Amino acid sequence: MRNAFYRATRLRSVTLVAAIALVAGLNVLPARAQNVVKIGEIEAQTGALNTYGWMSAQGMRMAVDEINKAGGFEVAGKKYKLQLINPDTQGNPQQALIHLKQMLEQDHVKYVFGPFLTNVYKGIEPYATGFDGKFLLMGGATAIHFDLGKPHHGYLMRTWNWDAGPSGFGSLMVANLKKRGAKRVAMLMQNDAFGHVARDIYAPLFKTAGIAFDEEWFEPGTTDFSSVLAKIAAWKPDYVFPGYTDAVLYDIVRQATEIGLTKFWLVRGSLGPGLKNKDALDDYIIYIPKYFEEAQNSEPKVKKFIADYKAFYKTDFPYDQAPLCSSSCYDHVYMLVDAMKKAGTVDDVAKVKQTLMSTIYHGLWNIRYDQTGEEVFNFDVVDIKKGGKIEVTHINPK
Amino acid sequence: MLQLVVGQLLNGVIIGTLYGIVALGVTLTFGITGIVNFALGAFMAIGAYTGWYLTDVVGIAYPVAVPLAVLVAALFGLLADQTLFRFTRNNLINGLIVSIGLISVIQSVLLMVWTTTPKNMHYVLPGVINLDLFIVPKMKGVVFLVLLVVILATYAALTRTWAGRAAYAYAQAPEAAKLMGVRTELLQTGVVVYSTALAGLGGALYASLYSLEVSMGASYILKGVEAAILAGIGSVMGSLVGGIVLGVTEAIGSIFFPQAYRDAYGLVFLVLILLFRPSGLFVRGR
Repeated sequence: MRNAFYRATRLRSVTLVAAIALVAGLNVLPARAQNVVKIGEIEAQTGALNTYGWMSAQGMRMAVDEINKAGGFEVAGKKYKLQLINPDTQGNPQQALIHLKQMLEQDHVKYVFGPFLTNVYKGIEPYATGFDGKFLLMGGATAIHFDLGKPHHGYLMRTWNWDAGPSGFGSLMVANLKKRGAKRVAMLMQNDAFGHVARDIYAPLFKTAGIAFDEEWFEPGTTDFSSVLAKIAAWKPDYVFPGYTDAVLYDIVRQATEIGLTKFWLVRGSLGPGLKNKDALDDYIIYIPKYFEEAQNSEPKVKKFIADYKAFYKTDFPYDQAPLCSSSCYDHVYMLVDAMKKAGTVDDVAKVKQTLMSTIYHGLWNIRYDQTGEEVFNFDVVDIKKGGKIEVTHINPK
Repeated sequence: MLQLVVGQLLNGVIIGTLYGIVALGVTLTFGITGIVNFALGAFMAIGAYTGWYLTDVVGIAYPVAVPLAVLVAALFGLLADQTLFRFTRNNLINGLIVSIGLISVIQSVLLMVWTTTPKNMHYVLPGVINLDLFIVPKMKGVVFLVLLVVILATYAALTRTWAGRAAYAYAQAPEAAKLMGVRTELLQTGVVVYSTALAGLGGALYASLYSLEVSMGASYILKGVEAAILAGIGSVMGSLVGGIVLGVTEAIGSIFFPQAYRDAYGLVFLVLILLFRPSGLFVRGR
């Protein structure tokens, strides 16, 4: 009887210990799962407007993979790995909004990169503003510039150089254009949010520089620019200032050169359209964050990045698209991780933002933020001449 | 200014033939099967992507790739007819719904295969014809001639061959044509396949001029339907002229008014024509 009692007690004890161990074990699992910092990205990786988003997504994947393979990173004595959530918005604001909702409400992401597209930003901004203080949105969209520093927009940081102002690349480009003796520029922009912002920025810059300025607009989806280009040709501009993605630039540059418009200024897109039409054009001046063909010979970090890219994706390096990686891309992941380490937190977004704002990061680019939360980084101006001869100017904004 | 107007007049004529080839498909399909096939724009995309793929990726010479692209579009047309359109004969609403659904299916397949990133074919025939008063890219000239020949050949075939006359007869009096031995099922299938082949041809030629993206056919089917209505549904040569009128209206309108509203110029012109000729330019009012 006594033995039976002991046996029963021992059995209960073993069961209890096993249960405690099981519960403890279960507790250990989520504790380990918590050592992951989720970062989101809302960019167009495919679609007519994917020029910037695609390369950003490529760079982010690489950075996350490298950091995780190196064992992650340590913040306040705790080891973390990164988890990247980067669905494809296809440049569609509704799609982007759905992705952002999922990131913020279900995945509880605190750091979101993107968007680069102004129309996408405008689509998500009212919703994102409701989460002010709970996350950081680090995107290159031009429209973000106007919301930096506004009440309830503390979650915003802009990851691209601004056009105007003393550090603005647009101001520098207009000054450069004046040096080239240009007297008249024709802008041909898509009739959308960014197109109008570009006009509002550049019209005063041209006026100040004493350069005559004409504007023409086209609808998204246009492929035949013959009429409008013929009209522009009649104005006899020194340069065409075309907008703004490869989806239209290939058609614009081809059709423009066919009717004798052979000089393009401040092209925003890849080198591709210029190189494809190199024998027909005289000047194709493009603003790009980095001219990789040259930089790989002089910058060891760039050389390594290219080699790593080839190994990671098992493909050739996309020299034409890669320069557009600057916005919310490879460097920015490392910069964020550095900021979390320095701030000693992965959750306190205000502290992390403050650290980001006071950091100068030396990666593929030299990146810093100004007092409004707008990025300033070094960039290149590439001039493709007739026949494909290339001249590069390196610019370090003040 | 004269140079600008003449140049754009010519450009409008060339672009108009592209609208015309789609309009021809619209008018033939409607005349014989009683439906408006809005998926013809998507078949145009099939032709364009196939043409680009065969030329730039596979490496087949462009003049060979074009007929192959037309064949591929026609085969998809046959598949669509036998699995879908066969059940919607002479039912305008059902045909409309099926064709609109088919657009989504085709676009989704193209998206899956080639993503939404635009494709650019290498320059098949670079250079321009410069005649002082106007400049025309050589390839645009070739595209215009090919489309013109195809539309004229279609007209000749419809008016001078037994099959063509059978089609006309069927369009005018289906029962009588049946009694006279016209194999109506075959005729209807043939017309659906031919119209998709025409759209495929338009797409394959388009690929040599412009960038490609999956929804490229959307504006062309709208222009095709506009052109067909402008001419009057049922008129073969009217489709060509309707397309050209539309193309010219857009091109000339873009000179004097903003290019951003280019699509509206053709539409306004269409409304004006329909106010005075509700049956279209080339069809007598009933």
